[in-house]
Amino acid sequence: MQFTGALSDREMREQFLDKMDLEREKGITIKLQPVRLNYRARNGKTYILNLIDTPGHVDFSYEVSRSLAACEGALLVVDASQGIEAQTLANVYMAMDLNLEIIGVVNKIDLPGAEPDMVKQEMENVLGIDKDEIIPISAKLGTGIEDVLEAIVAQIPAPRGDEKAPLQALVFDSYFDAYKGAISYIRLANGELRKGDMIRMMSSGKEYEVIEIGVISPYMTQVEVLQAGEVGYMAAAIKNVADTKVGDTITNANQPAAKPLSGYKEVKPVVFCGLYPLENSEFDKLRDALEKLKLNDASLLYEPESSDALGFGFRCGFLGLLHMEIIRERLEREYDLTLLATAPSVIYRIQLTDGSEVYVQNPSRWPDAQRIEHVMEPFVKASIMVPNEYVGTIMELCQEKRGTFINIEYITPHRVLISYYLPLAEILFDFFDGLKSRTKGYASLDYELHGYQPSDLIKMDILLNGEAVDALSTIAHKEKAYYRGRALVEKLRKIIPRQMYEVAIQASIGNRVIARESVKAMRKDVLAKCYGGDITRKKKLLEKQKEGKKRMKQIGRVEVPRDAFMSVMDIESDK
Amino acid sequence: MTNNNQAGIYIHVPFCVRKCSYCDFYSRPLPDKDDLERYTSKLLREIEQQAGQWANRCFSTVFFGGGTPSLLEPEQIHRILQGLRQHLSLLPQAEVSLEANPATLDASRLQALKSAGLNRISLGVQSFRDEELKILGRIHSVREARQAVEDIVASGFDNFNLDLIYAIPGQNLDDWQYNLQSAVNCQPRHISAYLLQLEPFVPLARQISAGRYAETGEDLQADMYDATVDTLIGQGFHHYEISNFAKPGSECRHNLIYWQAGEYLGLGTGAVSFRDGQRWKNRETVSGLPDESDSGMIDIEILESMNQHDRFVDAVILGLRLTQGISRQQFIERFGIDFAQEYHAILEKFRRDGLLIMEQDRLYLSRRGYFLSNQFMAELL
Repeated sequence: MQFTGALSDREMREQFLDKMDLEREKGITIKLQPVRLNYRARNGKTYILNLIDTPGHVDFSYEVSRSLAACEGALLVVDASQGIEAQTLANVYMAMDLNLEIIGVVNKIDLPGAEPDMVKQEMENVLGIDKDEIIPISAKLGTGIEDVLEAIVAQIPAPRGDEKAPLQALVFDSYFDAYKGAISYIRLANGELRKGDMIRMMSSGKEYEVIEIGVISPYMTQVEVLQAGEVGYMAAAIKNVADTKVGDTITNANQPAAKPLSGYKEVKPVVFCGLYPLENSEFDKLRDALEKLKLNDASLLYEPESSDALGFGFRCGFLGLLHMEIIRERLEREYDLTLLATAPSVIYRIQLTDGSEVYVQNPSRWPDAQRIEHVMEPFVKASIMVPNEYVGTIMELCQEKRGTFINIEYITPHRVLISYYLPLAEILFDFFDGLKSRTKGYASLDYELHGYQPSDLIKMDILLNGEAVDALSTIAHKEKAYYRGRALVEKLRKIIPRQMYEVAIQASIGNRVIARESVKAMRKDVLAKCYGGDITRKKKLLEKQKEGKKRMKQIGRVEVPRDAFMSVMDIESDK
Repeated sequence: MTNNNQAGIYIHVPFCVRKCSYCDFYSRPLPDKDDLERYTSKLLREIEQQAGQWANRCFSTVFFGGGTPSLLEPEQIHRILQGLRQHLSLLPQAEVSLEANPATLDASRLQALKSAGLNRISLGVQSFRDEELKILGRIHSVREARQAVEDIVASGFDNFNLDLIYAIPGQNLDDWQYNLQSAVNCQPRHISAYLLQLEPFVPLARQISAGRYAETGEDLQADMYDATVDTLIGQGFHHYEISNFAKPGSECRHNLIYWQAGEYLGLGTGAVSFRDGQRWKNRETVSGLPDESDSGMIDIEILESMNQHDRFVDAVILGLRLTQGISRQQFIERFGIDFAQEYHAILEKFRRDGLLIMEQDRLYLSRRGYFLSNQFMAELL
C-alpha cells in the first residue's frame, strides 16, 4: 500500500488492514479485509489491483475460502524464519481447487533467523511451487515489493466478466454500521452497479435502493459506478441484518440475472458453548449483539437456551476454540457486554436403547446412563508439522489424547508432518497448549473433521454444596474420568474464593462422588485502619470490592467467578 | 454521639527520619531545623486563615499525627497550641494527643511537651521484638520503646496509647501473644492493635512479592485477631472499635469524632478536613512544606462533596466500626433516613449470617462481624 502510494508514510502503521483492536493486540488477522490499489507497472501501464488480506488460522479457513472464491489468483506468503506451517497446506489446496494462479512469496528475509533458500526448497517439495519463481521479500523494509506487484500484473489474469450483462455481484463479507445499516463487500462478476439502482437479493428476492457504493483504497471512497471485475462496498439501507447474507448474489431488480453465482457452502460449527450475560437483564442486548455479529461472521450459530445455574443465554457454535475466544471477546468489547462462557463441547451422537439417536452438544442435556446404548464422538485427522527432534514428545502427547497414529512424513530432512486421528474434544481442551509447550512453540497444527467413532464416554457433574451445577457438567472418557474429576475440583478450589461459609466442591458420575475438595470459610475481610485522612480512599477500596463482586455469579449461596466455567478446559495447562 | 458543632483538629507533620517499610502515609525525609521552624510558622498562618471559616465550631480535640510529629520541638508545639487557642474555640478540657516515635522522646522533652499542653501520647511501639521492628523498618529498638514508656509515665502522662502491629512476616501466634502481654505490662490506658495491611507499592509488599518474606495466611491473621480481643478484654480493656481497645473512659476522643462522622479541621501539608459534607485535602508537596497560591492560601483538593444520602452512608460505614454500633433514632434525627428500612434486605442477610446484630434501637457488629466487616460495608455503598 505504501509502495503504490495508497498510503503515505505518515499514514502507514503496522497491521494497517487489521482493523480490530483484538487483531492488533494478538498480532493476527481474524477478518478478511479488501483493499484496492492503483499500480503503475514497469511497462508504463496503470493497473487496478484488488487484494484481500486473509487470516491463516484453521478456525478462520472460512474467511479464506470466501476470499479465494472472489479472486483470480493468490499470493502465498510464507515466513522465512518459520517455514510452511500445517495450515499453509490446507489453504494452498483450497486455492488449487479453485484453479487460482498461485504466486509464492517468502517474507521477513530481513530477520536474523531467516532461511529463505531452505523455505523455498520446502515450498517446492511440499507444495510443488517452482523454487526459482518464489519471490524473496521484506515487507518491513520494502525489499522485493515491486517484484511481487510485477508478478501479479504478469501472471494473474485480469477478471473476465461482461459489463453489459445483467448484474451479478457476490457478497463476500458484510458488517453492520450504526449509521449506514448493513454494509456488504461485493465482487462484481458481470454487469455494473450504480448509486440509486434498485437491486435484488437473489436468495430472498427482497429489493433495495443502493444508497452508496465505493471502493476501499484503503479508506472507504465513494464512487458512482462499480463494473464487472471490481471489488467494492455497497450500502443499501438494509436494516435487517439477516437480509444480506454472505454468499448471496446481488442483481439488478429491473434487469435481473437468470441465475445466482455459485455461493458458498454453509460451514458447520464444531465447537459449542453457552454464552450467558452475567447480568440476566442483558439477555436482549446479547441477542441483538449476536445478530449483528452474525452478519459479519456467518459461521457463528446461536440459539437460546437456559441453565438452572446461569439463567437465560445462548448456545453458540464456532469453527474452533480460537474462533470461540474471538467471538466472546468481540461481544464484550464491541457490544459492551459482560459474559460468562461455559466450557466448550463438541456434538455427540448418542444411540438410545429405544433405537433412536440424539445429538447432544450441551453436557447438561446428556441422557441418563440407563437410556444410552452407545456414544459416538467426532474425530479429526490432525496434521502436525514440527522439527524432527520433537517427534517423540508429539507422539506421546497424541497417545495421551487417545490418538490413533496414521503416518509420518519427512517434508525436509529436518521437518516432519505427523498425522493422527484424534477425538475433536481432546483438541479442544489443552492440546494446542501442550503442543506449543512441548516444542518451544515450533509445532503447527491443522485438522479436518473425520467422522464419528464410538467412544466410552460418560457425563461428569460438579456439585457445589451438594447441588449439581448444570453449567459445570462435562463429558469425559471413562478411563480418564477419575483423573479429570480430581483435577477439576482442585482447580475449582483454587478459583472459588473463600466465602462466608465453607463451600464443598464435588465431582460425581451418576450418584457416585469421585472427588471432593472444600473452600474454607472466609475469616478475614476487614479494613484494619480507618481514620480521618483516609476515609475517602477506604471507601474507594470498598467500592472496588463491590465491583469485583459484580463479576461473580451467584449460584445458590455460592459466588462463583465467571472464569470458573471455562476453567474445566485448561486443567492440565496449569500443571 | 458528638454534638454537631464539636469538632476535632488534626495537625499533620509529614516528616520522618526514615520511612517505615509498611507505611503508605504521606511523609517526607527529615528537613533541617530551619524547615521545621518554617513549617511551624506556616501552620500558625494557616490557623489564622482558617479561623473565620470555623468560627462557629467548637473544638474538643487536637491530634498531632504524621509522619513523625514528635520531631517538632516542644516549644514549637507550644506555639501551635497557643495559636489554636487564640484563633479557634478550643475547649479548655480538650484532649490533646501527639503521635510519637520512641526514638524521638526523652524525659526532658516529655516534660516540656506536658507543659506545652499535651495530655495524651500515642507511642508507636509496633512490636516488642527487635527482629520484627527491623522487618518493619522502624528506627527505634525495643529498649528505646521501654525507656520511652518509663519516661512517659515519669513525666506525668497518665493517658497514653501503644500502637501495635500483628501479622508481621515470620510472626507466629506466640510471638504476638508476647507482644500483646508486653504491651499490657506497660499499663497503657489505650492499645491500638492493627493487622499489617500493605498497599502494593510499599517496600515491604514488594519484598514479600519478591519472596524475601512470607505473607501471613488468613487463618493465622484471624487467630491473632481473636487472641487480641480475648487477651485485652481479659485485661480489662473495652474493645470499642475494630482495632482499638481502651480502659473504660479512655477511648480516644479524637478518633471517635471520625467514626461518629463528626467534623474536623486538618492543618498542614496533606491534612484532610471534613465539614458540611465535604472532605478536602491540603495538597501534598515534594518538599513537605505547603504549596500556596498567590493569595497565600494553601492549595487544596476536594476529595468528596456529599449530599444528605452520601453523608448518611458515610456515617453508617464509619459508625459500624464502633462496637456500640449506630442508633436508629439518632440517624433518623440526623439524616432523616432510617437505616433499618434503607438497608432492610442487606441487614437481614448479614443478620442471618451472624455478622450483624440489630437490637431495638442499635445496629452493631457481632464478634464474628468485626473481622469480616468489609463483606457488608461494601454492599452498603
